[in-house]
Amino acid sequence: MANRTVPRLLQTPAVVLLLFWMLVPLSMTLFFSFIRYVLNNLRRPEWTSPSIENWRGFGNYQYVWNQDSFWLAIQNSLIIVCGILFLTVAFGIAIAILINRNFPGRGIVRVMLISPFFVMPAVNAVLWINMLLDPVLGLQGIAVAGINDIISGLREAPLVGGFFSLWPEFSPISFRGAQASSYAVIMMVTWQWTPFAVLIFMTSLQSEDQQQKEAAVLDGASAWNQFRFLTLPHLGRPIAIVVMIQAIFHLSLYAEIEIVSRGSGNKNLPYYIGELVNNNIGAASATGIFAVILANIVAIFLLRMIGKTLME
Amino acid sequence: MGRIVLENVQKTFGEAEVIPPLDLTIEDGEFAVFVGPSGCGKSTLLRLIAGLEEVTSGAIKIDGADVTQVPPSKRGLAMVFQSYALYPHMTVRKNIGFPLRMAKMEQAEIDAKVEQAASVLNLKDYLDRKPGQLSGGQRQRVAIGRAIVREPEAFLFDEPLSNLDAALRVGMRMEISELHNKLNTTMIYVTHDQVEAMTMANKIVVLQAGVIEQVGSPLELYRTPRNRFVAGFIGSPKMNFIDGDAAEKLGGHSVGIRPEHIDVVEGGLWQGRVGVAEHLGSDTFFHVHDTGLAETITVRAIGDVSLRHGDTIGLSPRMDELHRFDAKGLRI
Ligand SMILES: Nc1ncnc2c1ncn2[C@@H]1O[C@H](COP(=O)(O)OP(=O)(O)O)[C@@H](O)[C@H]1O
Ligand SMILES: [Mg+2]
Repeated sequence: MANRTVPRLLQTPAVVLLLFWMLVPLSMTLFFSFIRYVLNNLRRPEWTSPSIENWRGFGNYQYVWNQDSFWLAIQNSLIIVCGILFLTVAFGIAIAILINRNFPGRGIVRVMLISPFFVMPAVNAVLWINMLLDPVLGLQGIAVAGINDIISGLREAPLVGGFFSLWPEFSPISFRGAQASSYAVIMMVTWQWTPFAVLIFMTSLQSEDQQQKEAAVLDGASAWNQFRFLTLPHLGRPIAIVVMIQAIFHLSLYAEIEIVSRGSGNKNLPYYIGELVNNNIGAASATGIFAVILANIVAIFLLRMIGKTLME
Repeated sequence: MGRIVLENVQKTFGEAEVIPPLDLTIEDGEFAVFVGPSGCGKSTLLRLIAGLEEVTSGAIKIDGADVTQVPPSKRGLAMVFQSYALYPHMTVRKNIGFPLRMAKMEQAEIDAKVEQAASVLNLKDYLDRKPGQLSGGQRQRVAIGRAIVREPEAFLFDEPLSNLDAALRVGMRMEISELHNKLNTTMIYVTHDQVEAMTMANKIVVLQAGVIEQVGSPLELYRTPRNRFVAGFIGSPKMNFIDGDAAEKLGGHSVGIRPEHIDVVEGGLWQGRVGVAEHLGSDTFFHVHDTGLAETITVRAIGDVSLRHGDTIGLSPRMDELHRFDAKGLRI
C-alpha cells in the first residue's frame, strides 16, 4: 500500500486540475438550470442575478422540453452529424484507395488533398457559401446559368430541339434558405474533414498485408470481393476512430451554422443554446444538460461499436 | 491432372534479369522442390507459375493449355504462402471456405467440404477461432486447408515451414509428404533448406541466380551432382573441396568428397589435426586442419569416436566416391 502513495501524490495535480476543469463548469450549469436566471427583465429584476432564492426546480427543463425548436435543433444536430460522418467515411475510403497506388505526382496530390483541413472553419464556410454555393455569383449560379443557356440553345436546334423544349429551366438552389441550409453545412464540413479521414485510412491501407490480397486473388476473389472481405474489415478500426473523433467535433458545430444562415433551417443544439444565452441563462443551461445527455448517448453507441472492432 | 511446362520463361524487373530464359517440366503428380540460396529467384519462379507475376517472355502451360495470359484464379492452382496469408477477420471455417464461396458454391456443400478438410488436417476443434488465436502450426494447417478444398491441379508452397520451430517443421514436413501421397496431386515446393528438399522431393530443381543448375531425384543429385555448386549445396554437412596441386594428383581441377565418404583410420592417406569435434553420439563430426589439402576437411565418423581437439587424425578417402570437376566447375 505504502509504495502507492508516491505515484498517487504525483498524479494529484493532474487529477485536481481535471476535476476543476470539468466539475466547476458542469456544476455551475447544473445550478443555473434549476433557477430562474435571465440577463434582462425589467419587471422581475431579481431574476437577473443567479441566486438560490429563484429556485425553479425542473421548470427550465419543462420549458425547453416543450419547445418545438428544441426538438428541431436535436434533429438538425443528428442530421448534420450523421450526414457528415457518412460522407467523410465514404469519400475518405474511396480517395484513400485511389491514391494508395503509385502514380506520377502522388506526393503533390497527397499534400493538396490534405490542405482543406488547414483552412479555418469560418473561412471555409464563407468561401463555400459565397464563392461556390451562391445562387447568383457563386460557382453554382454560374454553372446553372450556363446549363440553362446551353439548353435554350438546343431548343432551337433541328431534330433534338423538340426533345429539349420539354425540359424545364433549371433554377439554382438557395443554400441560405431554410430548406437547404443543412445541406450546405454538411457539404462544407465534409469537404474540410474528408482529408482527415483520407489521412487515417491511407496509413491503414499501407499496413495492409499484400500476401493476403494475393491469396485472395488466387482464391478467385474479384476486386470488389477483395475490398469487401479484406480491405473493409481491415479498415474497421480506423473507421471507428474517424467516426468517434468527428462525432465529438461536429456535435458542436457553430461557425458554419452562423455564417450559412444564422440558424435558419440548420439550427443545431449549440446554436440553439447560443440563442438562449442571449437572455435566458436558466433555459440555456437546461438545454446544455440535455446536450450533455445526448452526447453521452451518442458516446455509448460509439464506444460499443469501437469496443466491438477493437476486440477483434 | 497437373503437368506444368515452362518454355523459355524469362523474368526481368526493370533492368535486372532475375530469371534468364529457362525450360522446365513438372510431371503430373510429382513433388517438385525448387531449392537454392536466398534471393536466387525461387519465389519469383513460383509466382510466375501462379500468375502473380507476369512473364517477360516465354510460355507457361498447364496440361498442354497455354495459361501465360490466364489470370491467376483461372489457372486451377492453389498457393500456400510463407506468411500463411490467412484472412485475419474471418474464422478458420470462413478462411477455408473462402475460395468455395468465391466460386459461388452452395453453402451446404461448402460446409461439407470445410468439415472434411478440417478433419484431414486435425482442425475440427478450431473451426470457430480466428487466425490470431492459433499457433504457428495450426495456421499453417489452415492455409493448407484453404488450398486443398479447391481441389486444385497443383499446389504451390513458398517456404511454408520457415516460420515454424525446428520440431514442428519436421512434423509438418511429414504431414505435407503424407498429404502428397494421399492426394497424388502435383506439388511445387520452394525452400532454401536442402534437407527439406532431400526429404520431400521426387524431383529437385537446384537454382542459382535464376539459372537451373540441375534437375533430378534427390539421390541423383547426391550421387552425381552436375557441377560444383550442386555438389556443395546438396548434402549435409557440406562436401569438402580440394583445389590446386592436391586436386591435380587426384585427377581433377578441383575434387570434392563428402564427409561421410572419408574414413577415420590409423595412418590413413591424409593426416591432420582435429579442430572442432562435434560429438552427437550416433555420429561424430571432425573439422580437421593442417591436411595440406584445404583449410578444413570435415569428416563424419560413425558412433562416438574419442578423438579430441588437437589430436592427430588419419583419414582415408573412398577413392570411388570422389567427385572431380574441371576448370569450369563441371563434373568430369
Ligand atoms: N517485385 C520485385 N521488384 C524488383 N526485384 C524483385 C522483385 N521481386 C523479387 N525481386 C528480386 O528478384 C530476386 C529473386 O527474388 P526471390 O524470387 O524472392 O528470391 P528467393 O525466393 O529465391 O529468395 C531478388 O534479387 C529480388 O531482389
Ligand atoms: Mg522467397
